[in-house]
Amino acid sequence: MAHLRKILFNLMAWSIVLAVAFPLFWMLVTSVKPQFELFRRPPTILPETWTFEHYWTLLADTNFLVYFRNSVILSSATTLLVVAVATLGAYSLVRFKYRGRESLAFLVLFTYLLPSVVLIIPLYLLLVQLGVSNTIFSLVIAYTTFALPYALWLLRSFMAGIPEDLESAALCDGATRMGAFRDIILPQLLPGIISTALFTFILSWNEYLYALVLVNSDSSRPLTTGVMNMLISSFNIEWSLLMAASVMMSVPLIIVFAFLQSYLTRGFGAGGVKG
Amino acid sequence: MAEVIFSEVKKSFGAFTAVHGLNLHITEGEFVSLLGPSGCGKTTTLRMLAGLEFPTSGDIQIGDRVVNDIPPGQRDIAMVFQSYALYPHMSVADNIAYPLKKRGVGKADRSIAVAKTAELLQLTELLKRKPRQLSGGQQQRVALGRALVRDPKVFLLDEPLSNLDAKLRGYMRVELVELHRRLGRTMVYVTHDQLEAMTMSDRIAVMEGGVLQQFAPPAEVYAAPANRFVASFIGTPGMTLMDGALSRQGGTWRFEAPGISMDVGALNDRAEPGGACLGVRPEHVLIGQGPVNGTIQVVEKTGHENIVIIGLEGGQRLTGRVPAPQSWSIGENVQLSLDAEQAHIFGPGPHGPRLNLPSNVATPDLKSAAN
Repeated sequence: MAHLRKILFNLMAWSIVLAVAFPLFWMLVTSVKPQFELFRRPPTILPETWTFEHYWTLLADTNFLVYFRNSVILSSATTLLVVAVATLGAYSLVRFKYRGRESLAFLVLFTYLLPSVVLIIPLYLLLVQLGVSNTIFSLVIAYTTFALPYALWLLRSFMAGIPEDLESAALCDGATRMGAFRDIILPQLLPGIISTALFTFILSWNEYLYALVLVNSDSSRPLTTGVMNMLISSFNIEWSLLMAASVMMSVPLIIVFAFLQSYLTRGFGAGGVKG
Repeated sequence: MAEVIFSEVKKSFGAFTAVHGLNLHITEGEFVSLLGPSGCGKTTTLRMLAGLEFPTSGDIQIGDRVVNDIPPGQRDIAMVFQSYALYPHMSVADNIAYPLKKRGVGKADRSIAVAKTAELLQLTELLKRKPRQLSGGQQQRVALGRALVRDPKVFLLDEPLSNLDAKLRGYMRVELVELHRRLGRTMVYVTHDQLEAMTMSDRIAVMEGGVLQQFAPPAEVYAAPANRFVASFIGTPGMTLMDGALSRQGGTWRFEAPGISMDVGALNDRAEPGGACLGVRPEHVLIGQGPVNGTIQVVEKTGHENIVIIGLEGGQRLTGRVPAPQSWSIGENVQLSLDAEQAHIFGPGPHGPRLNLPSNVATPDLKSAAN
């Protein structure tokens, strides 16, 4: 009985893995199949002829690299801005006592109660008034508006986990408040900062709706809307190119994740404070 | 080296007042314990001295400098926290060196100082480890090392031994006393453990409800508690306190409670006929013969002595302490007397002041108790 249950459990787990992994696998093989092999019936699982022509076409003949650069700039800038503001904000919400502190923290979350579609138009008008519409910078601002609240709450809980005694000790040891923040708080907060950065980066990298509405020039389009605009029209979908683009869009995230994931599990500052 | 003076220091958090008009004069090189139950304001007092909290009113002086508005780093103090507060991402050596680094001491001088401190506290082998790789006792010594590496005017210790096991605590008590003797620095020590306060301090400041109850050497706090609270708080097992009434008989006073009636001699001029409280330490209950009848209810054997709880005829319970060979069985009727010379009389109420004449013991600090 226990044996059967184990088999069933394994079967279920592997089906889930398969369901998640198959589209990724299909994306990969489609991107290296020549055009004529794509719609063959029955379909080939592994390509009979391998080709990288779609990748070359994308890189050489299209705006792909411009979109890619835009996405890198956009996501990095958003991540930097959000992490910087959220770290200081979380510090303030945890360490300082002032009137309206809790209401402020909850008010920040209120933006999540509204569907983002509702916020797009006011945000667009605001960005036009600021004179930054149709630029990468306008998207940085837009993404910050929805990434910041979550980042603030995430970092707030990490910050609350850092014992206040550590900071008090640093102050007694002669550090200024900023010095204590830099020397003691930041290193302790690193896992939290990395999780937040990862979250923000992924959110900005994959965002579609705001990018579609707020930016309509090729020079500032990010990958999501750029690729869509370039390869999908009402009459035709360039499947091979689309899959090659999708692979190249996923690679940076995989690299970022692989690199930072080791930090996530490392260095959780346990054991410094007893009791 | 410096004296520490609190003048009318008050600290409020919103509507709650944690410390009420505290006056405390700690002399240079003295080891003073702030003792009291949790929430008595002792830690707030220490944190105000450290500069981590600011007094609502009043002045705090370290040496000849009023430090009210001076940040902790410039007060020339060092503090050891109950949680140790070691920096988890730094090695033991970096932890100890941090206060020097923040004061601009060069790298070479820092490592010399760290090595010296590490040797003093037997930490040399552990310098490269991270705090989480240390045992509780070792972490405690690192925390101490971080305080000792400089030569601050005042050491502040916030329940530094409370996370250690009983044996290590006893060992560290001796070590700290030894350290204080050797350094001769002013030390302010916060604890809720009366044994620590009694064994280590030059003087104890007993606090309760944010009010200083008594500030006196340990022997005096024990032998002449300034009020009923101090009497009940100090001593294990605790003093038996019996509510009753005082009446004047010529020049002397008589205390009466259900089952007990005794002459308590002359009292000070705060004594008034009416409600009062009699306090008797367990060692001053003489079991065997006497005018009081009671029944043995509980016998606790600790090895070298027996603690007996005796029920009196009026329903009162009395705690006595006798050497181990003497023992009674539960339910046995005994006769006993109370040592009138050593009995304490307090006024009515939970903080009723001591009414005994100050003749048989060193003068208790009645003035501070009255605050």
